[in-house]
Amino acid sequence: MPGSIDWGDSRWYQRAIFYEVSVRGFADSNSDGTGDLRGLTDKLDYLEWLGVDCLWLLPFYQSPLRDGGYDISDFFSVLPAYGDVKDAAQLIEEAHRRGIRVIADLVMNHTSDQHPWFQESRQSRDNPRADWYVWSDDDQGWPDARIIFVDTEPSNWTYEPMREQYYWHRFFHHQPDLNFDNPEVQEAMVDVVRFWLDLGMDGYRLDAVPYLYERDGTNGENLNETHGYLKRIRQTVDAEFPGRVLLAEANQWPTEVVHYFGEGDECHMCFHFPLMPRMFMAVRRSQRYPITEILAQTPDIPDGCQWGIFLRNHDELTLEMVTDEERDYMYSEYATDPLMRRNIGISRRLFPLLENDRRIAELFHALLFSMPGSPVLYYGDEIGMGDNLYLGDRDGVRTPMQWTPDRNAGFSRADFAQLYLPPLMDPVYGYQAVNVEGETRNPSSFLHWLRRMIEIRRQHPVFGIGTFEVLSAENPSVLAYIRRLAMDDGHESIVLCVSNVSRFAQPVELMLADLAGKVPVEMIGRVPFPPIGELPYFVTLPPYGFYWFTLHDEG
Amino acid sequence: MTSPDEIVSLLPDYLPRQRWYGAADLELVSVDVAAFDMVRPEWPMLGWLLVDAAFGDGSTATFQLPVGLRPLEQTERFLEGKGRSFLGDIDTESGPALVYDALVDPDLAVALMRHIAPDEEVSRVRSLNVEQSNTSVVYDERLIMKLFRRVAEGPNPDVEMTEALAAQGFEHISAPVAAWRRDGRDLAVVRQFLEGGTVGWQLALTSLRDVYESRADPSEAGGNFAPEAGRLGRITAEMHLALARAFGTEEGDPDGWATTMRQNLARSRARALDAKVIDAVYDELGGVKDPGRSMRIHGDYHLGQTMRTDKGWYILDFEGEPAVPLAERRSTSSPIRDVAGMLRSFHYAAEVALVERGPASEEDELRTLGRRWEQYVAEAFCLEYFNTPGIEELTPAVDEDRKRVLEAFVLSKAVYEVGYELAHRPDWAHIPLEAVNRLTT
Repeated sequence: MPGSIDWGDSRWYQRAIFYEVSVRGFADSNSDGTGDLRGLTDKLDYLEWLGVDCLWLLPFYQSPLRDGGYDISDFFSVLPAYGDVKDAAQLIEEAHRRGIRVIADLVMNHTSDQHPWFQESRQSRDNPRADWYVWSDDDQGWPDARIIFVDTEPSNWTYEPMREQYYWHRFFHHQPDLNFDNPEVQEAMVDVVRFWLDLGMDGYRLDAVPYLYERDGTNGENLNETHGYLKRIRQTVDAEFPGRVLLAEANQWPTEVVHYFGEGDECHMCFHFPLMPRMFMAVRRSQRYPITEILAQTPDIPDGCQWGIFLRNHDELTLEMVTDEERDYMYSEYATDPLMRRNIGISRRLFPLLENDRRIAELFHALLFSMPGSPVLYYGDEIGMGDNLYLGDRDGVRTPMQWTPDRNAGFSRADFAQLYLPPLMDPVYGYQAVNVEGETRNPSSFLHWLRRMIEIRRQHPVFGIGTFEVLSAENPSVLAYIRRLAMDDGHESIVLCVSNVSRFAQPVELMLADLAGKVPVEMIGRVPFPPIGELPYFVTLPPYGFYWFTLHDEG
Repeated sequence: MTSPDEIVSLLPDYLPRQRWYGAADLELVSVDVAAFDMVRPEWPMLGWLLVDAAFGDGSTATFQLPVGLRPLEQTERFLEGKGRSFLGDIDTESGPALVYDALVDPDLAVALMRHIAPDEEVSRVRSLNVEQSNTSVVYDERLIMKLFRRVAEGPNPDVEMTEALAAQGFEHISAPVAAWRRDGRDLAVVRQFLEGGTVGWQLALTSLRDVYESRADPSEAGGNFAPEAGRLGRITAEMHLALARAFGTEEGDPDGWATTMRQNLARSRARALDAKVIDAVYDELGGVKDPGRSMRIHGDYHLGQTMRTDKGWYILDFEGEPAVPLAERRSTSSPIRDVAGMLRSFHYAAEVALVERGPASEEDELRTLGRRWEQYVAEAFCLEYFNTPGIEELTPAVDEDRKRVLEAFVLSKAVYEVGYELAHRPDWAHIPLEAVNRLTT
C-alpha cells in the first residue's frame, strides 16, 4: 500500500508499477539548470500521490556524459551536477518512507575510457590492470560480432598507441569493454553491485547484458559464460540482499530473452521489447493480431520472474534484431509502412506518436496495465508531454519535466540559457499547456485518469501475477483476454479485459460459457453488467474503447 | 424404437425448411430411408438416418440426419426458439417423443462426438449457424465437428484434401482429428477449432473501412492489407506445392480449360454479357505455349475460405463450389484458378466495403481508392505467390503466358458471378459486371 513498504514481500516487483526518471530532467534544487537528486527527492510527494511503486533512475554516476551517463568513469560516486552519495542515500530513504522503492541503471559491460581502470590499463601491457579490458595485437578478432552503432563506429576494435594494441568495444569507441574473463574484473563488478545495495538501493536495471563475454566463432551475444556471470551476481544478491531485483535489458527476441531468467536463478525481470511497437501496429492496422501474435510467441517464464513492459522509454526498437525468417512479420510490416519507419526508429514520446489522441493513450495504458508484465512508465508521459525532434535523437525525449506554467516549466529557477535542455514551448505540448499543476487541478485530466487506473491496478494483484488467456473473437479489431489468480482466501480473482483497437465502434461476441453465472462488474465505475449465460456474451465498444471487468458470482 | 418410418413421414415437411436443403425450387417427389441406426437407445435418444430424396426434375440427393428424441412433456431450454429444428412428435415404446435435429441438443452433440471420436473428452457445445450445406458444432472451443448434410459416394473433398495436405506436412490447415465414414461415404469430420481466428474477409473489410475513412492511399493508410495479402499469397503457393506432391500433376490443358469456361459462359444465361468479347479472351488461351500444370486445387478459393490466427493464415473448406457436382469438384485445373478466385474476392471486398458506407457524395473518389486498394493488395498477393520457390513448375513461367491464363480465369470467375448475382442478388450484379467490363475492353 502507498506509504509503507512490505519488506517481507520478496516478489514485490511482480506487481509493481515502475517509473523511469532522468535525474537530470526531473527537478533542479540548486538553480544550476540541471536536475539533481535533491530535486527528485523534493518531488517524491508527487510520485507517491501518483501511486508508483518503484523508481528506475537513469545513470547518475560520475561520467564524461558522452553517452547520456552510460559511459561511467567512477561506479562509486555521483556526477557532481546531480549531488553526491549522501544525496542518493537521502533519496532512497525518503522514497522508502513513502512506500516507493528505487532501482538504478548499471552498466557492467564497459566503462568510459576516462575511467581510472582504463587509464591504467591503456598505459602498458604489463601494468596491474593490463588485463582488465579486452586487448589484441590486431583488429581481426570476432568478425561475427555485429557493430551496433553502425552510424559512428567502423569497427568493434580501436587502436591504442600507448600499448600499440587494439581494444574491444561493442558500443562507442570511448566505451571499452571490460574483460570478464579476468577474475579481478568479476570481483570488482560484484563490489559495485554490493556498494549501492548496501546504501539501500532496491536493485538494478542491467544495461546491455548480452555482451559481457567474447568467444571465438560466435557473435558474442547471449553466451553461456555471460549467463554464468549473471547467475553469480544473482547468488550474491540472494545471499546478501534478499528482496532486491535485477532487471535485464537484452534487446532480443522473447525466445532468447527468456534465457536471462535462467531457471529463476538469473535475472528477476527482463524487458519485453517487441510488445510496444506491436501495440502501435495493432492500432494502426485496426486489428489485434500484431499483439496476440507476439504474445503467442512469448515463452512462459519461470516462477518468481516477470516481464517489464513499457509504452516508451529512452530506448528504441532497432530493426537489426528482426532478420530471421520467423521474424518476417515484423520486417514486412515495418519496412513497408511509412509511418512505422518514421516513428519507431527514432525517439518520440508517447503522445506525439499517437497524434495526441487521448483515447488511444488511455487504451494503451489500459493494455499496459492489464497485459502480463510489470508496467514501466516514462517520466512526463503521465501528463502527455511531447518531444523536441530538433534536439537530436536522444535529447528530444529528455527535456525538463513540466511542473507548472511558470518560468522554465517550474523545473528550475536558473536562467533559461543555463538549462541543460530547453523545456518544450510549442502550443500543443509546451509547458504552458501541459504541466503537472494544471492537470492536478483539472479532475478530468489524463493525469487523474492515469492515477485512478494505477489505483485500480494496485487493488488487483491478478494483473501482476494472474494467468493470461486470449479469448477468441471473430471481430479482428477486438482484443479480449482473461486474467485469473487463485487467492489465499480460496476464491479465484478473475478479470476480463476487452479492448477495441480500431477508430470505429465495434461489437464482439465472447465465448464465455465456462463462466456462465458470473456477473461482470466494470472496474472503474463498479457498474454491474448483465450476467454471463450459455450464449455468447455480447459487448459493444466505442472507438478505442476498453472495459475491465471483475467477474463475481451471481447473487 | 426399431423403425424410422414414423420419422420419415415427418420429413417432407421438415427437409425443405432446412438451410442445407438446397433444392427449394424443386418439387420433392419422395423420401426413402437408405440407412438407419439407433446410436443411443435411452433418453435422450439419438437416431441416425440417411435418406434418399428424389426431386421433380429427376435429380436425387442423399441427406444425413442425426435426430434427437426426448419425452414430449419435457421442456428443454435449448429447444427454445429452435422451431426450425423440430421434425414433429411420434410415439415410441417409451412414450410420446419430440423429434428434433440432434445437433441442437448439447447432450446428444456430445454423444455423437463420443461415437465419432471416442478418445476425445468434450463437455461444452456451441453450434455455428452460418453454413449452407453442412452443420458445424464447436466443442469446448477446442474441437469442431462438421457434419455433412448432403452426402455422396466417394470421399468428401474437404476430408480428402486436408488429410492429404496434412500428410505432406502443410501446416496451414486444420487437419482432421477424426473422420466418420460409412460404406465409402464421408459423414463427418472432427478438427481442431482455430482459436482466436478471424475470417480473411473480415480482415479485408477492416482494412478497407480504414482506407475509406482516412482517404489515404492504401499503401500509406493505417489499415494497410498488403503485408497480410503477401503472406496469404505465399501460403497459397505452398498449398499448391503440397497438393501437387500429394495428388500429382499433369500437363496443363489450355484448350480444355477454355472449353470449360465456354460451357460456364453458356450456363450463366446472362444476357447482359457480350459472349463474343468474352470468347476473345478465352481464345487467347489457345496461344499459350507454357500453361503450367493441371492439378487438384482448392476450387472455391476466396477470402471467406481463409482465416487469420495468432499463428498466421489458415485455409479452410476444401469442398469446392457447392453447386457443382461432386465428380466435377474433384477434377483438376490450373492452380492459377485459385489465384483468380482470390483476386475476384479482393474486388468484392472493396465494393462491399463501399456499399456498407451507403450513398456518399464522394463515391467516385472512394471507388477510385477502392480500386487502388484492390490493385495494391492483388500485387502483394501475386508477388509473394509467384516468388515462392517451386511455384514456377506449376504455373506458366513466361510472364505473357501467365498473364493470359490469369486473365482468362479471372474473367471466367466473374462470368460465373454475374450469373449467380443476377439469379440471387441482382443489386450486386454490378460488381462482377464491372470486372467483366474491365477485362474485355
